[in-house]
This record gives sequence, C-alpha cells and structure tokens, in this order.
Amino acid sequence: MIFFAALAILAGVLVSLSRQINGRLALSTSAMESSFWNHLVGLVFITCVALAVGGLFAGEPAQAPWWAYLGGPVGVVFIAAGSWLIARIGAAQTALMIIAGQMISGVVLDIIMGAPGNMWARTLGVALILAGMWVAQGRKP
Amino acid sequence: MSQPELSNHPLHFAAAFGTGGLLSFMVLFNGTLAAYGSLFFASWVPHLTGSVAALLFLLVLRPKRAQAARPPLWVYLGGVSGAVTVMLTSATLNSALALSGTIALGLAGQMVFSLFADMRGLFGLPQRMPMWRDFVALALIIAGSLILIFFGSST
Repeated sequence: MIFFAALAILAGVLVSLSRQINGRLALSTSAMESSFWNHLVGLVFITCVALAVGGLFAGEPAQAPWWAYLGGPVGVVFIAAGSWLIARIGAAQTALMIIAGQMISGVVLDIIMGAPGNMWARTLGVALILAGMWVAQGRKP
Repeated sequence: MSQPELSNHPLHFAAAFGTGGLLSFMVLFNGTLAAYGSLFFASWVPHLTGSVAALLFLLVLRPKRAQAARPPLWVYLGGVSGAVTVMLTSATLNSALALSGTIALGLAGQMVFSLFADMRGLFGLPQRMPMWRDFVALALIIAGSLILIFFGSST
C-alpha cells in the first residue's frame, strides 16, 4: 500500500517535472515546438516500452467510438499552453489553476452526462475552488 | 537567457483554468480508449495523433524560435516524464488506491514539487517565492478538490 502511495505521489511529481522541462524548451524555441517534441519523444518511448512488454493492441480498440481518438490534438494544445504559462505565472500557480479548471469542468461534464453525484459536495467543492482562485488572483507578481 | 516577466495578469489565470478544462476532455477521450483497448494503446494513440497535429500546427502557424542557440539535449525529455506518469498511474489505479486515491496523492506530489521548483527556480525557469496568499489559495483549492474527488461522485 505504501509502495503504491509512493508511486501515485511520484506520478504527480513527474507531471510537474514534465511541465517544467517542456516550459524550459519553450523558452528556447516556442510553446508549440515544445508540445511537438513532448509528443514525439513520448511516442518513441511508449513504442519501445510497448514493444518490450507487448499487448499494445490487446482488447477491442477498433470498437471504440471515433471521438475517443480526439485526445491527441487536445493534448497538443494542453501541453503547449502549460509550457507557455509556467514561465509566466510559475509552476505552482500553473498547476493550481489547471487543477481548478479540471475539477470544475469535471463537475460540469458529470452533470451534463447525467452521472450520479452528491449535489451538496459538488456545490461546496466548487465554491471552495472558486474562493481559492479569487485569493490566488489577487497576488502581486 | 531572456525570461518572460512573471505576471499576475487575470488572462493568464483564466488561460490556465481553461487549460484544466482541456484536461477533463483528455481524460474522457483517453479513458474511453482505455475501456476498449490496452492502457498502452490509450497513451500511444494520443501521442501519435498529437505528434501529427503538433507538426501541422507548426507548419501552419510557423511560430518564431525564441533563441537561435540550440538548447541542451535534456530539455527534449519532457515527453518521457509524461509517458512514465501514465504507466505509474495505470499501476496505482488497480491497487487499493483506486481512482480517487491516485488523483488525490498525485495532486499532492504535483503541488509540493511545483512549490519547490518555484522556490529554487529549477531548470532555468524564473524563481518565485510563495507568499501567505499562495498557501491560502492552495489550501482552498486542494480542499475543494478533495471534497469533489471523495464525495462529489457518490450519491
């Protein structure tokens, strides 16, 4: 259990590390070029690991709906935006605002898609996040 | 190396917030792929289509390079770090941590390392010392996130 908890924390550290390295690359090139290298190098890496481990095409991937294949282009904009923002508002603010955006849009998506949920918890959670964004935004640079 | 000025421009905060919204769609799309194919496939496909999309964006937009000099080679390794993240979370998702524990601990790791990086100005990014205001904002946003993660989706 402690081993898996450490892995989960490390995964979060690597999210931030990746954004910092991409942000540094964007300082030398551009945010979009940084996003391109992030995807290409990641692709080569995943291909190598998948070839070593096997099972890349396991399951029924052809049965997936067409829109499930749209994650790549969205990810390009996501990585480019993160690379651009991190040098301007810092790693912590970038991470915090992205988390806030993910959480609140997740609630909206859940409600639109009719996922069951506790309305009180959703309201309190969103209210706390909005309050936090308001506090963060009032900071001097 | 020339660095952009650190700012607290509301547009930058709004852009970061909107960027987080993109993440929700990525989780939905890639998670649906993982429901039909392997977790490798669900990460391999967006990297493949993303590489093509980014190349097209570069060809159309032709962004100006910020510096003529070549950066050190390690700055090209951000994608490896991102790919390892997917593999780690696929391991923890199937443990007792499940999805909510994986997300909650991931948020903690991400915030602690981000604050550390800001304080030290790691990797040539601008140094930025957190103020009390930042910790209040952090506490509010993380508290709200934990409530949503652990109580928001149960009836």
